[in-house]
Amino acid sequence: MTLLKRCALLFTIGLIGCLQCCAVFATDVVRIGTLAWQGSEEAEIHWSSMVSNLEERLGGKRIELRHFDLGAMAAALEEGELDFVVTNPGHYVSLEAQSGITRIATQVSDETSNPEHVVGSAVVVLDRRQDIQRLEDLRGKTLAAVSPDAFGGYQLIRAELRRLGLDPENGRVTPVFTNFPMTKVIDAVVDGKTDAGILRACLLEHMEQEGSVAAGRLRVLSPRPEIGNCAVTSQLYPGWAFAAASRTPPALSREVLLALLSLPPDTNQQWWSVPADYHPVHELLRELQTGPYAFLRETSLEAQLRRYWAWVLGLVLLMLAGAAYTLHVEHLVQRRTRELTQALDERHHLESRVQAGQQQMDHLSRLSILGELSGRLAHELNQPLAAIGNYARSLLRRQDSGTLSEAALRQAAEEIANESERAAGILGSIRSFARKRSRRQEICDIADLVHEAGSFIGGMLSKARPIELRHDLSLAERQVLVDPLQIQQVLLNLFKNAWDAQQSMDDEHPIEVSLEREDDRCAVEVRDHGPGLTPELQAHFLEAFFTTKPDGLGLGLPICKTIVEAHGGELLARNANPGLVFRFSLPLAHSTDTVNTP
Amino acid sequence: MTLPDLLPVIHVVDDEAPFRRSLLFLLESVGWQAVGHDSAEAFLLAAPEMQAGGGCLVLDIRMPRISGLELQRRLRAADSPFPIVFMTGHGEVELAVQAMKNGAVDFLQKPFKDQIFLDTVERAVQLSLERHAANRRHQEAREVLDRLSVREREVARLLALGLANKEVARQLGISDNTVHVHRQHVMEKTSTGSAAELARLILRADPNGLD
Repeated sequence: MTLLKRCALLFTIGLIGCLQCCAVFATDVVRIGTLAWQGSEEAEIHWSSMVSNLEERLGGKRIELRHFDLGAMAAALEEGELDFVVTNPGHYVSLEAQSGITRIATQVSDETSNPEHVVGSAVVVLDRRQDIQRLEDLRGKTLAAVSPDAFGGYQLIRAELRRLGLDPENGRVTPVFTNFPMTKVIDAVVDGKTDAGILRACLLEHMEQEGSVAAGRLRVLSPRPEIGNCAVTSQLYPGWAFAAASRTPPALSREVLLALLSLPPDTNQQWWSVPADYHPVHELLRELQTGPYAFLRETSLEAQLRRYWAWVLGLVLLMLAGAAYTLHVEHLVQRRTRELTQALDERHHLESRVQAGQQQMDHLSRLSILGELSGRLAHELNQPLAAIGNYARSLLRRQDSGTLSEAALRQAAEEIANESERAAGILGSIRSFARKRSRRQEICDIADLVHEAGSFIGGMLSKARPIELRHDLSLAERQVLVDPLQIQQVLLNLFKNAWDAQQSMDDEHPIEVSLEREDDRCAVEVRDHGPGLTPELQAHFLEAFFTTKPDGLGLGLPICKTIVEAHGGELLARNANPGLVFRFSLPLAHSTDTVNTP
Repeated sequence: MTLPDLLPVIHVVDDEAPFRRSLLFLLESVGWQAVGHDSAEAFLLAAPEMQAGGGCLVLDIRMPRISGLELQRRLRAADSPFPIVFMTGHGEVELAVQAMKNGAVDFLQKPFKDQIFLDTVERAVQLSLERHAANRRHQEAREVLDRLSVREREVARLLALGLANKEVARQLGISDNTVHVHRQHVMEKTSTGSAAELARLILRADPNGLD
């Protein structure tokens, strides 16, 4: 299709639409819908005089009258098919909420000129039913009505019954709905299908006048005294409403209203007056939880769900989300707890392994010191053994040659005893040093540790240099919190190194140990008069397996470093010219410290 | 001892007192006369003479201050006649080898068997006696040669090298007769009958005497 053709088509469509609009306005049709509570025929008859009178007054406007039942009218309004509706008060209130219609006039009747009191209901029974005198007597009976939605035809009486505790909804009275027209209700009661029936006020009187119902055949229950011509069971409510649809132009509404107000009373002596207050209708509907207040009755789970499904869904979703979140959190907590427990277990495991490894390391390091000392220790042990052997063989020789004297025997025996004790002493200190043990923290006097280590190395090596301890610390300033055996091991290592260093120089100086307060620590310095360290050695001497000794493992100082660091210190070395100084510090014991033995 | 000068004396130098005492006890068990010193200094201070009966030095190789090797060096420098037996500890073989190069009799690694020790001491004492005898012969040869005049000593050296009288005369720039007279004096003073005997005497007095 070419562009030109398309334009032409659009133009044509637009033109037709325009013409239609013009046609609507030109004919000036006023579309009115009425509630045909007694059926379309009755309604046509009922409203025909009003329609013709209105047409007269509306100056050439044609009125299109259509009749609906309760539901259809709302649908027609929804479709925009109506300009005005005429309906009962209950229905009006419903439509007001549902379709946004606005009343412009209320029907009043001759009987009660008060527009607020024009609709009422009467409950009728066969006059011969003596068992039913009042509304209360309807308990357990059947009650005919046109429709559950009918205002005058059901809801007004339902409200009265409710007030008496006989709500048909609860089964106290059984409603039977006959549908429109209302004459079906009379038929039901007359035919005995139901015990009672609900009629619009004055309907019975009209029908008696017409003769369609024999006067006195039916009786109105609990008639209210204040009403004049008709017997009424219920309270009275505002009359039918003439209402404009939401889309009706205000000018048209005004025109129609003026016409309505000028209409003469109809054959039923009813006419249109200023709009009444429909508040009592609202109250009634609210009480009955029907019409716009239908939601109030929706107390069942299903009804609530229907009304609040979005909220409920939201709430459910929220709860689900909450539950999911809670589950998630719970899951996370459990997982984290599990992970934490696992991590703790692993850590415990690791710690115990590290501790075991550390103890093993301590043990091995002590053994390594012994290993490094082994040549020396073998020599030390050989001396007493050789001496013992010499004495023993000497005794044999003297015995064999018959020159063994009492004095010689005694001298030899004493020497043998002394030497064997000396050998045992050396072995004992080796064994106690090499023995495995767990680490512990104790409060010790560092001076004692130095002396012990000194005598220890002295006990193992007969030619060891003396250890000279120099300090001006008080007893309290010497109390350190340490693993005594580990510190002894450090001292022993340093003493042995010092001794080795001086041995190589044949130096006669004692090994000097000095103590010094260093804040909350005690610094220990071990000085030898050996050759000191070359820069190359200084860079490597703390590395494991670095050694300058032919029989060394190179583990001594790295182990000392580890031990000192475990006590929060640092192992430092510096040249002293001549000689070498090793320095490390140990934590002082506080008065609050307690001995901790694992 | 009734004749102490004729008995060999064993000197034991070791700073390890119990062991030193046990060695002395052992040596005495087989009848040696033994003296202990607790350090090299103590031995040098005592400066014992080598007795006519001989003797030896049993020396611990590793001692503080003056070590065994150092003492050996000093004794050699002083021409000490003491044969030295070294005692070494475990792993001191290098020191022991050095000691042997420097003329030690032997080295014993501690701990040692008493019999080996005693045998080695015996050998050392024997060596001291031999050295003593050789020393005495050397001393006597020198004393004999010292009786010769300077010219007679020159003539004796050349004769010992196997030169004939004429060659000796020509080398010394003297007459044959004069050589003959010197030769007679030399033979008389040294109580030797041949050039070979004269050569042995000269070498005994000085191993480098004929170079």
